[in-house]
Amino acid sequence: MQVDRISSPLKLLTIALKTGRVTKKYPFGPPLLTESFRGAISIDPAKCWGCGACVLVCPPNALTMRFEEERAVLEYFKGRCIFCGMCADVCPASAITVTKEFELAATNLEDLKEGVIHRLSTCAVCGKPFAPAAELRDVMKMHPIAEEYANICPECRKKRTAKAFGLSFGANI
Amino acid sequence: MSAGEVVKEIEGKVVELGGIVESITETAVFVEVPRERVRELADWLYNSGAFLKTCAGVDERSINSKFAVYHIFGLDEKGLDVVVKISGLEGEALPSIADAVPAAEWCELEARDMLGLHILGHEAKPRHVLPQDWPEGVYPLRKDLSYDYRPSGNAEKFSEELPREVGLPIGPYHPILHEPEYFELYVEGERVVDVFYRGFHVHRGIEKLAESQRFTYKTIPFLAERICGICGFVHSSCYVLAVERAARIEVPERAQFIRSIVLEIERIHSHLLWLGIAAHILGYDAGFMHMWRIREPIMLLAELLTGSRKTYGINIVGGVRRDMDESKKKRALDVLKNVREEYKKFVEVLTAVPEIVKRATGTGVLPKSDARALSVVGPTARGSGLKRDVRKDYPYFAYKHSSFKVPVYSEGDNMARLLVRVDEVFESISIVEQLLDALPKGPIAVESYEIPPLRKAVGTVEAPRGEDVHFIITGHGRPYRWRVRAPTYQNIPALKVMLRNTPLADAFLTIASIDPCFSCTDRAIVIRDVRSGSRRFVGLFEGRRYASR
Amino acid sequence: MKLEEKLKSIRRSPWVFHLNSGSCNACDIEILDALTPYFDAERFGVKLVASPRHADVVLFTGPVTRETLPKIIKTFRAVPRPRIVAAIGSCAVGGGIWWDTYSTMGGFPKLQEILKQHGIEIDRVVYVPGCPARPEAIIYGLLLALGYVKQKVSKVVRVVES
Repeated sequence: MQVDRISSPLKLLTIALKTGRVTKKYPFGPPLLTESFRGAISIDPAKCWGCGACVLVCPPNALTMRFEEERAVLEYFKGRCIFCGMCADVCPASAITVTKEFELAATNLEDLKEGVIHRLSTCAVCGKPFAPAAELRDVMKMHPIAEEYANICPECRKKRTAKAFGLSFGANI
Repeated sequence: MSAGEVVKEIEGKVVELGGIVESITETAVFVEVPRERVRELADWLYNSGAFLKTCAGVDERSINSKFAVYHIFGLDEKGLDVVVKISGLEGEALPSIADAVPAAEWCELEARDMLGLHILGHEAKPRHVLPQDWPEGVYPLRKDLSYDYRPSGNAEKFSEELPREVGLPIGPYHPILHEPEYFELYVEGERVVDVFYRGFHVHRGIEKLAESQRFTYKTIPFLAERICGICGFVHSSCYVLAVERAARIEVPERAQFIRSIVLEIERIHSHLLWLGIAAHILGYDAGFMHMWRIREPIMLLAELLTGSRKTYGINIVGGVRRDMDESKKKRALDVLKNVREEYKKFVEVLTAVPEIVKRATGTGVLPKSDARALSVVGPTARGSGLKRDVRKDYPYFAYKHSSFKVPVYSEGDNMARLLVRVDEVFESISIVEQLLDALPKGPIAVESYEIPPLRKAVGTVEAPRGEDVHFIITGHGRPYRWRVRAPTYQNIPALKVMLRNTPLADAFLTIASIDPCFSCTDRAIVIRDVRSGSRRFVGLFEGRRYASR
Repeated sequence: MKLEEKLKSIRRSPWVFHLNSGSCNACDIEILDALTPYFDAERFGVKLVASPRHADVVLFTGPVTRETLPKIIKTFRAVPRPRIVAAIGSCAVGGGIWWDTYSTMGGFPKLQEILKQHGIEIDRVVYVPGCPARPEAIIYGLLLALGYVKQKVSKVVRVVES
């Protein structure tokens, strides 16, 4: 123990001298990042369908969609995001990419919000807005035979299908 | 009113009360009154604007066989002192003027102590001036006692008259705590005799949230990971283990390997964190800084392999979300080699430094029989001679493909728990290297799975703090019931045994040595009664009543 | 003391107090990590103090659980004016992953409303998202509060062409 009283601080001194200075000069130099780091996401409005798959899967509800009169607003609130990247995994249009942004500090809560605004298509039969136009356009690209049903809202579609079904059995509608 | 007129007034009052005026000088008036009337005179002087300066007890038995008390008042505006004398034979009671002039209390107590005067109203008060162990009946200022008298007896012993229990509130916000929790340590002198713990500050409603519409089987691992920020991956692994056991899902081998590797990396970082905090608590801040410097490459390695420094987010039911390619494997092996070298050199210093060794050895002892009776888990158990480790006893994931020792020490003190953790870091580094070498090829997650409702399963995983248990009853799309029992929950009752009769200075290291993680725990309150040895689980409100007795 | 005066006087050395209102501890160990050699917040004169009465900046984490709410109010009353708060982590900024359960209040924005009702004013707030917030992000947020760096994020609204 007596020897240790002297030898331990000396050993520590040699360790410290050998290590030198490890401090990174951030923010006046680059941060300590690796290539797999998941930072904030970025939504590409050119590719986004407005389908809402990301909204369904987001655990803390940082991605929300609200439907207003003629448009749907997809809002991304960085403040509540947990940076898990599930939205990027499930997006069918690959519109969401995970960036390496972590310098997200802000003095105003509104600065942490991002919005993507979709125009809603109106139904060809009843005239009510029902789905984002971008979603319909991409669905029709993938499945052209759906064109005659794609412009009609779900209510009218149900009515039309039931009518066609009934007519095929010879009902008098 | 001039000075002369004031003196005339005082004379008049004194004569009215049956006393006499002994003498009058330029600065003072000396009067004597019968002892039954002194209180009235004190009251009158006080209401006329006098301040009490002091009082003095005098042994005048050699002059007139009486004891006397001189009360000295001062009239500030006139620059006049008024000295009031009362006297009585030995044993006669002298009235106190403390209720009329509260300033007199201390000097009357002093007179009582030093001369043995019987002053009414002050009998029950404790010794004021003389030491607590001074013998009865010996009064220093009496003329018949020599100035160099030494009473017999040992002055070095602590008097038994100070057993008052003092409750020390620690928390919820205290410089030494990182989480809000409330401890009341009851101390007698310096020994801790009882502990009251009021927890649940971190209760966030996680178990109920998992049953709500907002969450499904797929997204609950993210919720489970945030139960605790230090051992989060353990909770998410335990949850997917329980669900996979309930639904009988076959997870690919590669995913099991990746999960084990990340679990061991988490264990390394948690133990290095604890060693730094333990050094900091003992005052060895150089140890704290060096240990966290050595720990930083592990955090970067975790970020490289999973995507985030903490709360990794790679577990899903049926596998993992992120893969490891060859270059990542190679970099991981390099990092681990460097960490092992630096850690080895530093730990030699840490376990030899007197600050750590002398304070941690022999304190906070948990004997093996108590450890068995309280079913403690983790390094707390392994430091007391119990060889318990979930990785060996109930094998899960890919641990059967690696070989490692379980370090066990039998002393049961704080140093044993520290050494268990030091050894476990070496073992974990070796496990990760073995698993990285033997990583099989294949998919990292199942393609699809079905989870039938109302199946039950239990998952147990070895967290850095001990054994973590999750119990699942499956439902439609999300669990019907999910119960989490954290390892610290099982270890807190052992604090009662470890804190018994320890000095207060060792109490903090002892509490920190079970590596408490109150975010995981927060489910029930345990009141420990050290003296009677009983232990009861009590609810929130009953505990308060129990503690205030 | 006015806010501008205080910001100028603590610019070289802000003393911080760490306040945990029920978080999972990941942000708290990242705050401690910011003081260790790799990130070394002490370059900026940052020191952890023991009492809220000595604090210049309060580092706030956690989604304000119901149990800690009265104790937090008491602690904030002890912080001298002007009060500067850095809300760190997704729990403090927006309530976190459990923002709407029975046992949490909803993070610092909700807490600020409650404090105003008790007559406690917060003069400057900086929000630092992250889960957990990296040590570099915490240092960036602190420097933003002091005025060394500029804010990078801003509200962006884009319309989809169709």
